[in-house]
Amino acid sequence: MRSCTDRASRWRHALALPFAVLALLPLAMMVGGSLRQLGLPPPRTLELVPAPVAWENYAQTADLVNLGRLMLNSLIVAVLAVPLSVLVASWAGFAISRLPARPARLLLGVSLAALMIPLTAMLVGRFSIFAWLGVTDTYLPLVAPALIGTSPLYVLIYYWAFRRLPGELFEAARLEGFSPFDAWRRVGMPLVRPVTVAVATLAFGISWGSFIEPLIYLFDPELYTVPLGLRSLALLDPTRVPLLLAGATIATIPAAAAFLIVQRAFLRDIGL
Amino acid sequence: MFRDAERRGLVLLLLPYLLGLIGLIGIPAVFTVVMSLFQYDLLRPPAFVGLDNFGELAGDRIFHAAVLNSLAFVLLAVPLRLLGALGLSLLLHKPMRGASAYRAAIYLPTVVPEIAYALIWIWLLNPLYGPINLALGALGLPTPRWFTDPVAARWGVVLLSLFTIGEGFLVAIAARRLIPGELYELAATERAGPFATFRHITLPFMAPSLFLLAARDVIFSLQLTFVPALTIFNGGPPPNATTYLPFFIYRNGFEYLRYGYAAAATLVMFLVTVAIIALQYRIARRWTDALLH
Repeated sequence: MRSCTDRASRWRHALALPFAVLALLPLAMMVGGSLRQLGLPPPRTLELVPAPVAWENYAQTADLVNLGRLMLNSLIVAVLAVPLSVLVASWAGFAISRLPARPARLLLGVSLAALMIPLTAMLVGRFSIFAWLGVTDTYLPLVAPALIGTSPLYVLIYYWAFRRLPGELFEAARLEGFSPFDAWRRVGMPLVRPVTVAVATLAFGISWGSFIEPLIYLFDPELYTVPLGLRSLALLDPTRVPLLLAGATIATIPAAAAFLIVQRAFLRDIGL
Repeated sequence: MFRDAERRGLVLLLLPYLLGLIGLIGIPAVFTVVMSLFQYDLLRPPAFVGLDNFGELAGDRIFHAAVLNSLAFVLLAVPLRLLGALGLSLLLHKPMRGASAYRAAIYLPTVVPEIAYALIWIWLLNPLYGPINLALGALGLPTPRWFTDPVAARWGVVLLSLFTIGEGFLVAIAARRLIPGELYELAATERAGPFATFRHITLPFMAPSLFLLAARDVIFSLQLTFVPALTIFNGGPPPNATTYLPFFIYRNGFEYLRYGYAAAATLVMFLVTVAIIALQYRIARRWTDALLH
């Protein structure tokens, strides 16, 4: 039996490795290409690590697009959107988990249906509302999706997490005279901390990488977020590829770091 | 069982989410339907035009191209992505040394911001100096003109969509893990080979999740083409090789300021999506019935 599973797992390694490498190749090319010295003719062969390594490309990119301002703006949006998302998603997930079957199933169905709607289908509709309210060119339309928890998926995730907690805990809380808000705050939330970390990180990734909404709502370059700055970079200077790739790397690092944190802290625990 | 105060408390907790659902999904949906009957450019007041927008869409060659491009993309990319997610999930669902590193690697491209991902592919698909054509050339294979040849451009978009299967991959793993291990032990004692096991155990059990994944991917594919079409190809190469439905909506609404027209196109896009998913559902039912009998 042992040799059987060893051989099987060696096969899995052998097959999985090329795919994992393949998946990482675009990212490797992004970082490698960003370090190629400007002014040199493009590489004639595939090179992962250029020589000489031009770290100054990053400084130059940061200058070209006023990176500090861009990152500050993205951070402001994230600081507003992420905590609000966690609050709304956990409140809603908790409330649905305490409701009787019929209303709960209705809300879950509505959430699933809402999940299936692509953002691009909502572009024109949402824009007209915000334009009518006169809040285009502000961060309000960028933070507003926090009201559906950034994504109804996070409401569902919290619902599942709270459902897995023993019902007796909340019975006891009710008997102690806890309001639902108290039960959420003092019983529910402390017990689902890993979920909160995961949802906050995922919501941060979405907020940070969000491109379509800033694109249609923001006109003042002073308000631009990092993805919009990247696009300006691509429009300004499409020929200096290393700078584009440096910008892409800078934009990716926070999202990738956040993911790796979640992966270690949370996904590993649930076996992913 | 429910005291009034408790019910009030729960409703209060739900209130922000309900407001969000109504304000960010319900009302925009209604606005979209209403606006499709008007002509509106944000500057002048809206002008009622009835079904004219839809009539214009019916005759708009660019819109036809957008519908065809989106359908073609769905037909190509969704099965390939699903196959990739399924295949990789079967490979990597068991806990083993290094598995979580492999899984992280496969998921990582999904985490890259869309705009950064598009910029990477501007470089990768460069016909003269990009790594893909350099590699193809080194192997003696033809090097497509990704930015100038319409067919190559569309395949380029399909290609870049094949790397972001991370979410489907994780869902497939979760679905695979739900299948009771005893069934596989039983199959082993019956000396069933890998293909028979796959056909009679794995596939039927995973079928519902795979259908949901496919449906979600169809919907999602109507979004993921937008940033590449905008930043890499700008809807081209001419005439409209990478003009997909979301790009058409964006261009008509936000660049040409024809919001009523874009709203009409959005409605058509929504109906097309529902039709595709309904078709998928019927195919999936037919297949699962065949598998189980």
